Amino acid sequence: MSSAEDLGNSGITRRQLLGQMGAGLMTLTVSTTWGEITPAEAHAKAVPFNKLTALEGASLEALGNVLLPGAGEAGIAHYVDDQLGRQDSLLFLKYMEYPAPQLDFYRAGLGSLIALSQARHGSPFASATGEQRVALVKEISQKNPEGWNGPPAPLFYFVVRNDAVDVYYGTEEGFKRLQIPYMPHLPPPTPW
Amino acid sequence: MSHEKVDAVIVGSGASGSLLAAKLALAGKRVLVLEAGPERTMGDLYSSQLWARRLKWSGPRIESVGKHPINVVFGHGWGTGGSALHHYACWFRLHPEDFQMQSKFGEGLDWPISYETLRPFYDRIQKEVGVSGDAGQEVWRPPGEPYPMPPLDTFAQAHLIARGFKKLGLRTAPLPMAINSVPYNGRPPCAYEGWCDAGCPLLALANPLAVYLTQARDAHAEVAHHAYVTRVLTNEKGDRATAVEYFDAQGKRQVQEASLIILASSALQNPRILLNSATSRQTSGLANSSGAVGKYMMTHIAGNAFGLFTEPTENYRGVTGGQLVCQENYAKDSRKGYLGSSQWLIANALKPNDLLGIGNARPDLFGDALHKFLATASQHLATMTFVGENQPKAQNRLVLSSRKDSFGFPLAHITHEFSADDLMCFETGMRQGETIMKAAGAYEAWSNGPVSMHDLGGTVMGSNAPTSVVNSYGQTHDVSNLFVAGPGIFPTSGAVNPTFTIHAVTLRAADYIQEHWSSLS
Repeated sequence: MSSAEDLGNSGITRRQLLGQMGAGLMTLTVSTTWGEITPAEAHAKAVPFNKLTALEGASLEALGNVLLPGAGEAGIAHYVDDQLGRQDSLLFLKYMEYPAPQLDFYRAGLGSLIALSQARHGSPFASATGEQRVALVKEISQKNPEGWNGPPAPLFYFVVRNDAVDVYYGTEEGFKRLQIPYMPHLPPPTPW
Repeated sequence: MSHEKVDAVIVGSGASGSLLAAKLALAGKRVLVLEAGPERTMGDLYSSQLWARRLKWSGPRIESVGKHPINVVFGHGWGTGGSALHHYACWFRLHPEDFQMQSKFGEGLDWPISYETLRPFYDRIQKEVGVSGDAGQEVWRPPGEPYPMPPLDTFAQAHLIARGFKKLGLRTAPLPMAINSVPYNGRPPCAYEGWCDAGCPLLALANPLAVYLTQARDAHAEVAHHAYVTRVLTNEKGDRATAVEYFDAQGKRQVQEASLIILASSALQNPRILLNSATSRQTSGLANSSGAVGKYMMTHIAGNAFGLFTEPTENYRGVTGGQLVCQENYAKDSRKGYLGSSQWLIANALKPNDLLGIGNARPDLFGDALHKFLATASQHLATMTFVGENQPKAQNRLVLSSRKDSFGFPLAHITHEFSADDLMCFETGMRQGETIMKAAGAYEAWSNGPVSMHDLGGTVMGSNAPTSVVNSYGQTHDVSNLFVAGPGIFPTSGAVNPTFTIHAVTLRAADYIQEHWSSLS
């Protein structure tokens, strides 16, 4: 690989410069609403949600674990909940150009999923059996189930699936899980 | 910021706005750039697909509808540098026939200029900015000076896919990139770490912060952020632009007077501003005596072909735009069964997550199957991006919505549908893509799409007012000191990424403005 690490005649390498920039930025860490902890830690400590209800949060964790096992423990619900409280959300949903506030998207989608599970199996999604959850997810990935009252079900599936990949594989820790190098030009001040 | 009258006010700090700001400021003009979004610096360009989302459009909602709505957020910028701050730097020249669609093929529109007119500006820009590539290997490349830098390095993914092209008798060439392969103009070479979508803080990729916006500031152009322009104001007769109206960071209405006004925001925002600048004399919008403002909105029809290989593909190495290009299918040939051009951008660097991430190569998978796919694909997936032409149609149009943003500015409402030619071009390409992957040795091959990529048209150039909004310099037919810059003035899309052409057309406009300053201002 060609490499010209020297920046002119400054005697400083690009890596050194970017390292310094990164170090400086580390002091600008954006605090999460639950403090300087990761979504996984917030999940483990059962930190209360700020935007989602407890039932919505539990449902989102359960859905995350069906879409990508481990996403619940990685803190998908706390990640989404935290981002929903920020002015400059980093949620994938931004790209979908959904014509309503982000919280409304999750609230309506999770509410529909809970209602669907209740109607089919007599229990909320988070309390349904593993097989029942998988069957429900398969269904919403294809079309709007009868009585679905949220955002288009396949869109809801697609967005939460991306949230799960973001929280599980989208950071330096996630890259390590896949055994691929992160190689940042400039490390972010926080993973999210 | 002073509110004194300036020589030129430029709306938008993206590719065209930055270049114009640099050239006019270097010529001694007092230039003010009004940028709707926040300030971005190189220190904001974090290597993360999550943080990259901050750089994408965060302004008022754009209502995108129709049979094939244009995706607007992912490809648009928000803040300093606009979408060029996170563009992938695939820099191609349009082909000569792209300029003559109506006269040669009886479809679409003609440009009022030819490739030969634009050629010297492509040559000048590639030297000023720095483009890497191998002109000799691009057998389909229109004539022009060779690139000032050798091609970027290639990695396993490119070598594997190239095998398939070769087996099918199709040629490939290094992808021409506005990314340094060697030190150039004081900027370092690429590190091949695949973070282009998050913005390149290395200065290796020629985004506005790396080149023209820095030149503009060095020449004392001022850039104001959170300056959200809503209207161009005119004299009573309506034939001279006098000022722009904007709302500042505090939401306070401001009026900035200028001798010359240039709308360089985006193909979606420029017509929105013109339509919103209607007066009692120009009831259908400013510079819209033709009724063409908002018409001929275009994009590119795009998709990806994928292949899984037994060999490691090193898909985490390289640059996001790709490593090789194939334009064997660019010629507009009626024997193909459709009118249109296309190209392949081969071997894009990949990340696990995000819209173009590995996870979305198979959106149908979830559960353990998704883990398994990501584990395999992060080591063995190869991909290439299809870029197809979108024919200009008057009915693909931007109008003002009945809904308004917080400043009372009607939202942009865009209706878009691909033509039968566009769709056939795409379907043919996707079939070819899978065939190429299999020929390359992929044990599994598939494709996705179509999606939209890039936004063009809406304020198209032409020889006269009845069918166009601006002339070939971007000067509006109706208001001599009002210009429009950027891909919005392209009458056709071709099938190549537009940023090189944006620069070439804008450089020509900058020359024109300087040469005619006394009559324009």
